[in-house]
Amino acid sequence: MPTVQFKINGRAAQAQAEPQDLLVDVIRGQLALTGTHVGCDTGQCGACTVLVDGQATRSCTLLAVQAQGCEVTTVEGLAHNGEPHALQRAFTDCHGLQCGFCTPGMLMSAAALLRENADPSEADIVDALEGNLCRCTGYVNIVASVQEAARLLRAKGAA
Amino acid sequence: MSAVPAVEVGRFGSGQQVKRVEDPALLAGKGQFTDDVAPARQLHVAFVRSPHAHARIVSIDTAAASKMPGVAAVFTGAQLAAAGVKPMPVVVPFKRPDGSDVVTAPRRALAHERVRFAGEAVAMVVAASRDGARAAADAVWVEYDELPAVTDAVAALKPDAPRVVDGLPDNIAAVSQHGDAKAVDAAFERAAVKVAVDIVNQRLAPSPIEPRTVLADFDAKSQRLTIRLSSQMPTGVRTSVCDALGLKPDAVRVVVGDVGGGFGMKTGAYPEDIALAHAARALQRPVKWRAERLEEFLSAVHGRDVVSHCEMALDANGKVLGVRVKAVGNTGAYATGTGILIPLVIGPWVTTSIYDIQAIDLRLQAVMTHTNTIGAYRGAGRPEAIYVIERLMDAAAREMRLDPAELRRRNMIRPDQMPYTNPMAQVYDCGQFEKILDQGLKLADWHGFAARREASRRAGKLRGRGIATFLEWTSGMAFEERVTVTVTPDGMIEVNSAVQGMGQGIATSLAQLAVDVFQVPLDRIRVVMGDTDRNNGFGSAGSRSLFIGGSSVHVASKRTIDEARKLAADALEAPAADIEYRSGRFSVSGTDLGIGLFELAGKQHDGRIYVDSTNAVGGPSWPNACHVCEVEIDPATGSVQLVAYASVNDIGRVVSPQIARGQVEGGAVQGVGQALLEHMAYDPAGQPLSASFMDYALPRVDGFRAFKTEFDTSIPCTTNAIGSKGVGELGTIGATPCVVNAVIDALDHAGQGRNAERVQMPLTPERVWRALHGDYDPPPLQG
Repeated sequence: MPTVQFKINGRAAQAQAEPQDLLVDVIRGQLALTGTHVGCDTGQCGACTVLVDGQATRSCTLLAVQAQGCEVTTVEGLAHNGEPHALQRAFTDCHGLQCGFCTPGMLMSAAALLRENADPSEADIVDALEGNLCRCTGYVNIVASVQEAARLLRAKGAA
Repeated sequence: MSAVPAVEVGRFGSGQQVKRVEDPALLAGKGQFTDDVAPARQLHVAFVRSPHAHARIVSIDTAAASKMPGVAAVFTGAQLAAAGVKPMPVVVPFKRPDGSDVVTAPRRALAHERVRFAGEAVAMVVAASRDGARAAADAVWVEYDELPAVTDAVAALKPDAPRVVDGLPDNIAAVSQHGDAKAVDAAFERAAVKVAVDIVNQRLAPSPIEPRTVLADFDAKSQRLTIRLSSQMPTGVRTSVCDALGLKPDAVRVVVGDVGGGFGMKTGAYPEDIALAHAARALQRPVKWRAERLEEFLSAVHGRDVVSHCEMALDANGKVLGVRVKAVGNTGAYATGTGILIPLVIGPWVTTSIYDIQAIDLRLQAVMTHTNTIGAYRGAGRPEAIYVIERLMDAAAREMRLDPAELRRRNMIRPDQMPYTNPMAQVYDCGQFEKILDQGLKLADWHGFAARREASRRAGKLRGRGIATFLEWTSGMAFEERVTVTVTPDGMIEVNSAVQGMGQGIATSLAQLAVDVFQVPLDRIRVVMGDTDRNNGFGSAGSRSLFIGGSSVHVASKRTIDEARKLAADALEAPAADIEYRSGRFSVSGTDLGIGLFELAGKQHDGRIYVDSTNAVGGPSWPNACHVCEVEIDPATGSVQLVAYASVNDIGRVVSPQIARGQVEGGAVQGVGQALLEHMAYDPAGQPLSASFMDYALPRVDGFRAFKTEFDTSIPCTTNAIGSKGVGELGTIGATPCVVNAVIDALDHAGQGRNAERVQMPLTPERVWRALHGDYDPPPLQG
């Protein structure tokens, strides 16, 4: 079985992966990072979204071997030195989650957006989250959470 | 001395916005959904599912699959039947048209001899890996003798329709008639105004984002089966598994961790749960199944699917004299108690809603077809019934050229009529519906609509305005909850409840209610749910968790203080009557003598203060609301945009304002989904046509989000200890008729007049465009 080497949440990792193994299964299985969820197994719901080299990527439609040499970030890697990411703070402040199942994917799609765009418009946020399904919140508070996180990050940057 | 610092309890108690206790773990990726638990030696399950809607199983060849790498076992329905696994029981207190008892086809964990809907599980493969199980499932060879199928409930009523249950003269699972037909006939005879609408309340897929997941494990030492799964009703699952496998309740433990959305779809046991329980016992290994999304569309229960012909009679002043409804509900192939109860009883309970209407004539049929089971989906019966009455109200207002809000006002039950008994013998304890209406109209700027319509017209859009004023029944018909409270010397108060978190944030709300009584910080309360070894009850459904479960937490907490007061009296050698409790500390009034609650717990012989408390509420609560929305239609494409949505909601006392708002708005988006987007469609041969998120249109982030949501907390429920009313389903129930009424208003104004009432959900661009050109679907019930 081939060995795949990549960085996950800043640390070197290696995993044994058959050519057909999906990245999400390696993340949830061998790497035991269960924060990344499988909601539809067809690339349609976005719950499995992770960052691959900074890009929001569905880990259920990426082969594990394709992550060779890449830098992968999952929801477990969002916090920094034990401090929650601004998105994590904003999602709880703005009630941007209910059941929390789609949330890791939402957070990672939003994180990818905020890396590129520190001051996204509502339309930018909608565009970034269009591929992430949520059945609980009606998206109202999710968009508000991303706006709040962007504000927090800008305030931090200005300080 | 207690280690607990003095706190301002008001910051954490009910009515205050707090951060949800559920959030930190979920946001860190540390939640514990069923698939996140992976014991060593776990095996994986894949199901072989029927490609046919109706077929005889001629043979199943598992030889090739059994030899594939890593395959531990392949089970068929025949094997399970031979092993004594019983079909799932159906208990329904209803009758068929000839007075005989309800008869349904036996629902087995795995189909045996016959399949009755596309997607029914016929075999189960257990293998070392998920992929291995999937590959082996593909190698199971099933020979079918295909039989004719019927998927539409009205078509299933035809004399020559294919039968779902052998030997029955028809496909009717049950019938029910409510009201006084003669009185309604008389009302129609003397009526000045009569209106009728034909309604399709289409089939929906509830679609929580977490698919069903089950992990069953058998411990040979204790001979106990542990089932971990994503469910709203742990105890109900235990009962069903015990019944099917012939086990005693103490031989089965059901554990539920985080649940990734329920919406009614995760109530009760599924055949797959029983199949896994059997496999775990047979193989003495942990076995896991995580449903693929396709399997969820095929075999997780669907909701709604009721068609009706509805009539209303009014006098010249707009007072409703009577309502007549003829409805056919689709139960799917395997009619369940829930699937029959929803159209035949639960819906009728609220048919007259908040209106003073005593003459009803409801003739209802629950009909079996070769489709997946219909079960509970957010609202379960109330959305269908409220949709009917709110559509009729608008039709009558249009006919009478009256403001639809004014027509509703003329018919509302007045506060001085409370408690009010509706014609289904349901008693509303309280409600000030006109007051809620007035606030809703103000919040929505109802009377400023003409200018907005004109502005839309200038922009080339057709604007419509819709309203729904309504109530709902809550409780799930289970009014009691047991709560245990354990105070420990480490400064924690554990509250154990048998209601079930499924994303709604009930742990936070229960903790806030405990804070109200104990006057300690929120982080001193630990809410524990989801373990049938600890507590049992009905679970979470029917918007019952807060007003029933929460009332029980409130009462149990007070009983704990009462019990602890006696213990404090002993410890302080003072009469209990002289002991005061405040913020985690008992003291003897007028002295500086005292003892902390947690220190007191440490002094007890078992090192804790423990109270086991059962409490019942006095009846269902009746949350109610006024929802008003506006839409814009693009006449070129027929696409509908929701552009304004305001609601004033009476849910009695609000415990967690942010959570309540999240429930109403998130729920409303589901209701908008039914109005505009969603349809779980089958073709006439029984093939599902919308079995993926690319085909089944869930609301997405690009929809409407600018809700104006208010609560009137001045009308507490009088039949429970905390004064709260249910909130989980209110938004879903109101949004659907509200949005459809707005679209019909726009179509009416565009020249369609009363014809516009013929449009059916979901209001897709195609349907709306056709409606604008006078082309409508035929009514579902002819003649």
